[in-house]
Amino acid sequence: MPRDVAAYLAEFDDIPGTRVYTARRARQGYHLNQFAMSLMKEDNRTRFLADQRAYLDEWQLSDEIKQAVIDRDYNRLLDLGGNIYFLAKLFSTDRLSFQDAVSTMTGMTKEEYFQMMVGGGRSPHGQRSIKGQY
Amino acid sequence: MARITHGIATSHIPAIGAMIDQGRTDEPYWRPIFAGYDWTKQYVAQERPDVVILVYNDHASAFDMKIIPTFAIGCAEEYRPADEGWGPRPVPPVPGHADLAWHIAQSCILDEFDITIINEMEVDHGLTVPLDVIFDSADNRTPDKWPVKVVPVAVNVVTYPPPSGNRCWMLGEAIARAVESYPEDLNIHIWGTGGMSHQLQGPRAGLINKEWDQNFLDLMTSDPEKLRTIEHIEYLRETGSEGIEMVMWLIMRGALQGTVTELHRHYHVPCSNTALGHLVLKNEVADTPVA
Repeated sequence: MPRDVAAYLAEFDDIPGTRVYTARRARQGYHLNQFAMSLMKEDNRTRFLADQRAYLDEWQLSDEIKQAVIDRDYNRLLDLGGNIYFLAKLFSTDRLSFQDAVSTMTGMTKEEYFQMMVGGGRSPHGQRSIKGQY
Repeated sequence: MARITHGIATSHIPAIGAMIDQGRTDEPYWRPIFAGYDWTKQYVAQERPDVVILVYNDHASAFDMKIIPTFAIGCAEEYRPADEGWGPRPVPPVPGHADLAWHIAQSCILDEFDITIINEMEVDHGLTVPLDVIFDSADNRTPDKWPVKVVPVAVNVVTYPPPSGNRCWMLGEAIARAVESYPEDLNIHIWGTGGMSHQLQGPRAGLINKEWDQNFLDLMTSDPEKLRTIEHIEYLRETGSEGIEMVMWLIMRGALQGTVTELHRHYHVPCSNTALGHLVLKNEVADTPVA
C-alpha cells in the first residue's frame, strides 16, 4: 500500500537533537558528502591536510560549508546536509575514533561523554519527542 | 540441497575491528565485549558452515551518493577491505560464492524481489567485523584466511527511507526460497548485522535503550511477527538514529521461516557509542521444505 511521504517525513522533525538524513538533506549535502568520500584515498588525505582551503576549493561547496569543515563543526555540517557515515571519513583523517568525534556534538567533554557511556549511555527518557516531551 | 541451518545476529561496531587490529582486546573495557563471542566461536567452528549470507550495511564505502541501492547482493569471487580513512584493515580478502550469489539474485528477481547485482566492491567494517568476532582465534587474532565463503547482502540504512522491516523480512523469505532451490549440499548460515540502540550524531548522541533492545531480542525468538510492523519512527525515537540498522536482523529472521531455538545471547553496554547485541538462533525447520 502506498505511504504518505509527507506524513512519514513530518515525524522526523520531532526527535530531539537528531538530524535524519532525508532527501532534502541528501540533496543539500551532496557535494559535502562526496568531498568526505574522497578522503578514503591516502593521497587525498595528505593533500587535504596540507592545505585544507585549497582542497575544499576543488569542490562545489559554499563558503559556509567550507568553514564548517575547517572548524570541524559536526552539528553545523549535519545541518548543512552532511551525513555522519560520510563525515566519518573526515574525523578518521584527523585520526579520531568514532567515540571521540561523536562526543564533540553533545556539548560534553570527551571524558564526560565516555563516562556517560560507561554508565549505560544517554537515557531515552524525555529524549523521544519534542512536542510530547516524553 | 542447500539449507539455512542457523541465523546469527551481531553488532558490527568499527572499534571492535580497531581493537583486534591493535591487539587491545584484553584491556578491561574490551574483555567482556569479546568474551561474549567465545561460545559462538566454538560452536560455529564445530558447525562448519560452508557459506555465510552476510546481511550488512555499507557505511558510505562501496556506495557513495552517486548510486543508492536499497538491496544489493555481491556476486564476486572476492571482496577486499575498504579504506575507511585509516587505511584498509589488515584482514584477509573475503572469498565470495559467486555461483550461489548469482542463483539467489536470479531467484529473488523472478520471485518479484528486485535486488541490485554487484560484481566488484570493497567491503567495510560492517562486513569484516562480524567475520572477526566469530572466526578469529580464541585470543582474537584474525585468521590468515577466512574459513567460509561469503555472500554479501547490502542494505541501505543511510539515506531515507530505508526499507521497512516488513520488506526486509520478505527479502529473507525470498532468500530462503532461493537457497532451497540450490542443488548443492551446503550448510548455510545467514547473519543479520548492525544495531542495537545507538546514535552517532547530534546533541542526542549516545542514546541507549536497554529495555527496548532486550524486548527486541526476546521477540526474535518468541514472537518475531511483531517485529515486522515496527515503524522507522519508532526505531529512531527509541533506539537512536542508527538503531534503524536492526531492520537488517529481520532479513535474517525472515529467512529462518518459523520455529527457532535461541542457543546463545550476548548483550553489553557500552561498546564505543553503542549497545552491543548478539544472538545465535538454530533453525528448527532447516530440513523441511519451504512454503
